[in-house]
Amino acid sequence: MLNVTSPHAHDGLSTADVMKLVLVATVPGFVALTWNFGWGTAINIVLAVATALACESAAVALRKRPVMFYLKDYSAAVTAVLLGLALPPLAPWWITVVGTAFGIIVAKHLYGGLGFNPFNPAMVGYVVLLISFPVQMTAWPAPYLIMPEGITPPGLWESLQIVFPLLAGGDAIDAYTAATPLDVFKHNTGLLAEQLYGAEPVFAAGELAGVSWEWVNLGFLAGGCFLLYRGVFTWHAPVSMLVALALMAAIFYDGGSSTSKGSPLLHLLSGATMLGAFFIVTDPVTSASSNRGRVIYGALIGVLTFIIRSWGSYPDAVAFAVLLMNFAAPLIDNYTLPRTYGREKSRRATEKQE
Amino acid sequence: MIRAIRENSLILTIFALITAGLLAGTYLGTRDKIAAAEREVAQRALREVVPDELHDNDMLNDVLPIPGNFLETLGLNQPTELNVARRNGRPIAFIIPATAPDGYSGDIQMIIGINTDETIAGVRIVAHSETPGLGDKVDTNKSDWVFGFNGKSLNNPNVDNWKVKKDQGTFDQFTGATITPRAVVNQVKKVLLYYAEDSERLLKAAEQSWNNKLENETGDG
Amino acid sequence: MSTYREITHNGLWKNNAALVQLLGLCPLLAVTGSVVNAMGLGLATLLVLTASNIVVSLVRNQVSEAIKIPAFVMVIATFTTTTELLMKAYTYELYLILGIFIPLIVTNCAILGRAEAFASKNSLVLSAWDGFTHGLGFGVVLVLVGAIREILGSGTLFANMHLLFGPAAETWTIDIFGEGYSFLIAILPPGAFLVCGLLIAIKNMIDGEIEKRQSARKVIIKGAKRVRTTGKIS
Repeated sequence: MLNVTSPHAHDGLSTADVMKLVLVATVPGFVALTWNFGWGTAINIVLAVATALACESAAVALRKRPVMFYLKDYSAAVTAVLLGLALPPLAPWWITVVGTAFGIIVAKHLYGGLGFNPFNPAMVGYVVLLISFPVQMTAWPAPYLIMPEGITPPGLWESLQIVFPLLAGGDAIDAYTAATPLDVFKHNTGLLAEQLYGAEPVFAAGELAGVSWEWVNLGFLAGGCFLLYRGVFTWHAPVSMLVALALMAAIFYDGGSSTSKGSPLLHLLSGATMLGAFFIVTDPVTSASSNRGRVIYGALIGVLTFIIRSWGSYPDAVAFAVLLMNFAAPLIDNYTLPRTYGREKSRRATEKQE
Repeated sequence: MIRAIRENSLILTIFALITAGLLAGTYLGTRDKIAAAEREVAQRALREVVPDELHDNDMLNDVLPIPGNFLETLGLNQPTELNVARRNGRPIAFIIPATAPDGYSGDIQMIIGINTDETIAGVRIVAHSETPGLGDKVDTNKSDWVFGFNGKSLNNPNVDNWKVKKDQGTFDQFTGATITPRAVVNQVKKVLLYYAEDSERLLKAAEQSWNNKLENETGDG
Repeated sequence: MSTYREITHNGLWKNNAALVQLLGLCPLLAVTGSVVNAMGLGLATLLVLTASNIVVSLVRNQVSEAIKIPAFVMVIATFTTTTELLMKAYTYELYLILGIFIPLIVTNCAILGRAEAFASKNSLVLSAWDGFTHGLGFGVVLVLVGAIREILGSGTLFANMHLLFGPAAETWTIDIFGEGYSFLIAILPPGAFLVCGLLIAIKNMIDGEIEKRQSARKVIIKGAKRVRTTGKIS
């Protein structure tokens, strides 16, 4: 029998398949986070997913659409997991709930749901939290590897008590926090980069770019490579973001002087760099849509990340950079839309229809 | 045509005259009140540092110039005056303006009141642009942190301990922010050091200006 | 009588300067961090709008088409400056907070818009009422946005009202969520956009509901239809 197929129509992955792959790909990063910082991230994710599913169902029901159909595409779960991974472990429970609810309700459903949201919901939730509750959002627990002697890292029950102070029955437990590598570099007053690396345990105990954070980032890098291999997204946006960030860092590294902005390796392997590059920047809804567009989009995120990290008010900047470029994505599309087959010039979105 | 132009310009002129008159009237009517309100606000910060019960002079107009060679220490980039608080004509405190250049987001402007016994009468942040929710706790609207300076001097705590706790000093930083309190503590310390160096001259100058003022008053009378 | 009702309905709801025409967005978004700031600017705008409508209506027959706009602008600028001076004299601290937005009232298109569209064509009393209701409509939205942002952002309501109403109002503050509460985004600029957008959405929702009820009640007559033309409302 003759099997007739159309040559250009692949049996592509459905939204749900893609989302499931993304969830699988976050596992190495999640393991690295839990290994180094304890149960906090796991609690964050459970809380965020529960909140996200509740908000998604409520929003979909209010919009009079079939609830199960929308829950089954896993997109809300992915948003929640990404936000849960980005939040500081052991953040109070209401931080996670407020951020997730804001991301799902305001950033996603008020704009019309999946596919219509101009901004990445997880990043909107993150930024809202960051500017509203800077104290809670900049308190990262100290990595196990550099816990001072005599301080035992909190177990599961203690972690739960930190996240839900009510469980502790009045006497709240405080998590033992430490400055992140980016924090340390930003607050540096007059030390050479080399001295800083020797003096601060965060760097002294690390191999490449700061203890623990390097492993978290390598974990997300591994997950990203898996997604790339499975063809979930193209290399354009993440690679150009990382290259741009590394280039900027190399230019301003300044040989490690006391005003150095940090080495390329520090910038690549700390903060939310890899999580951002492979799980946020690649969001098909909010990024540019052509390959050429994605290169520009990713590169500008890299440049902005570096600029805001170095001269802005907050130590990390991936979320701000992503939101700013989400805003610019339609404009980038406007100038980079590919040429339609059979036409000489690429069509611009602003051109009048003939 | 010409007639229309003439008529229109006449009407516009009348309009301009009436509105100008109205404005002039309002201006004259509110002038004194506005001047009083402006003085009131300018005095408020000074009064918070040295309350009315302690002094009996017009601090706003009782000023001495800050010597040019100290301006840089105080973080000031143009010639500025400091205010004198007196009781019965004797200076009891000097209120010195200063700017900490190394806040998290730029300059932090403040005034520091120093009693003549070299203890701090009070510190107030006049203007800053620190991160909302983190560094802005130096503002009395947000937290009581700056009251912690009251009564402190270069001996209490020791000069070497004029640092935030994170730098092994005495002063609390606040949760999530180190740079802002570090900048403020550092600048207050600099002002104390300046006062220790310049106090003798300042006291003399203050006495001199009081005598000049008395002479002028008797001269006029 | 129906004209007054029409004007009131227009100013407060149907043609609301802030929610429908989206005029004066800049002050609307910039100064509504608290009720007292919003009310201060709302009252100032109300004053300028009513006064300029009255004067414009008074001189409407003396001013020819050619010099209409400069004359009106002069009137509005005068009242704005007068208001600024008065605020400086009696509510100086509030004036310091509202800053540039007081003199900027002169550029609020709602004011020149009412002068040109209504006061220059209608009698004194009608114009005064039109100015008052439009100013009130704008002011109410300002205060509403201010109240929502203040509650969400700092957990208080009517804080610092003494800036506007004197020392007696110092105790008016209602602390809703207790000491130490803050949700900064509501007070920062993004909060203004979010709250304003929310109010517009709610208004549109109510309008949609009203329309649905009316059309359900009305019997639809097929055939000839009168199309409403612009300008004339009655």
